[in-house]
Amino acid sequence: MITYSTFSYKPFESELERASNSYLMSLVALIGGLPMPIFNLLATLFFYLGNRKSTSFVKWHCTQALLSQLALFFFNSAGFWWTVYIILDKSELTNAYIAYMITVVLFNIIEFISTIILASQTRKGVHAKLFFVSDITNLICKTNEDIK
Amino acid sequence: MKILSKGLVIVASFFGIWFLLSKLDYIAFFKIEIKKSDIEINLGNIIWEQIENSEKVIYEDSILSTLDSLIMPLCKTNNIDRDSLKVHVISNSQVNAFALPNNHLVIYTGLINKSKNEQMLLGVIGHEIAHIQNNHVMKKLSKEIGLSAIFAITAGSNSRIISKILKTITSTSYDRDLEREADLQSVKYMLKASIDPRPFADFLYDLSIDNEFEKYTEAISTHPDSESRAKDILKFIKGKKIKSKQIITNQEWEEFKVRVKAF
Repeated sequence: MITYSTFSYKPFESELERASNSYLMSLVALIGGLPMPIFNLLATLFFYLGNRKSTSFVKWHCTQALLSQLALFFFNSAGFWWTVYIILDKSELTNAYIAYMITVVLFNIIEFISTIILASQTRKGVHAKLFFVSDITNLICKTNEDIK
Repeated sequence: MKILSKGLVIVASFFGIWFLLSKLDYIAFFKIEIKKSDIEINLGNIIWEQIENSEKVIYEDSILSTLDSLIMPLCKTNNIDRDSLKVHVISNSQVNAFALPNNHLVIYTGLINKSKNEQMLLGVIGHEIAHIQNNHVMKKLSKEIGLSAIFAITAGSNSRIISKILKTITSTSYDRDLEREADLQSVKYMLKASIDPRPFADFLYDLSIDNEFEKYTEAISTHPDSESRAKDILKFIKGKKIKSKQIITNQEWEEFKVRVKAF
């Protein structure tokens, strides 16, 4: 799920903190913004926008944090609106709905744990990469070790 | 691994887990009671009132209690709240049973008279319970009558629409998929309650071959292709271990039929 490598240069201490904060930002927003799935995405988006002119290391991890939120956003949104429809009596409570919500919660827990690991490893200066999301991040940020 | 394949792995694992988890029956397991909408409750009451005024309803305790003792094991073993079902018996020679909105289950005496054994009757009753449990009744009505028309009659009585609804419920079939779903659900109910479902397949097969019989069973025979439904049931139970537990004795069954025939 998470792989470790070294970045193309050794980041400074201040960079480590900012990169790690990009993950923490999504966790704080996740706790504060529940059950609205848009909040954690917005929090990482604002953090990303604020740091897009930052150093390569910070920008890379801000992008990974944003993309990891984006990946779950669609599944969470579907679950959120399905719930709203049930509450408003426009849809009925079914086994498929309960199964969907269990699956969404399961994926959110995996994402939550991954984010904590990413935040702590990034803070230590380890270049932690999330499965699939890091590949997309590499395509967006042309300043990483794969491109050099 | 290419990026696209990695993405597909995540999406496939999400939908795979969802698919597997949706095979479990959480609603029955946690005994979740699904609240009926006000529209459904009102509609059920309006239609039942109409039937009560136009048909001969049987309130005979001995008939209702025997029917209750037949239905109870089916409900109990399948986590269905028996009290949520409003079972009615109507004196009518048609071989028919149907579900109404708000959990009303109507059984014609013609169906009881034509059932050779309790398993045949329970197969049809289980089929109707499945329609109720899976909310097929409201799905069918909103598709064929329209939700706006349903809403209109619950807001103020409209006899033309009520009679159309009654005709839709009592004499037309559900979608082929819904019928098949209800058939197999009924079989699952029976298997779980240790009731032999094969007579239910025989009953459906009888409908398809006995032309003389079909003259009197116009309503129920409009269900799509009874023969293929019977075959589907036999295919479904093939290889399954079937326990055959009798709920009431043969003598009690015959006495029950005699009492019903008197109406």
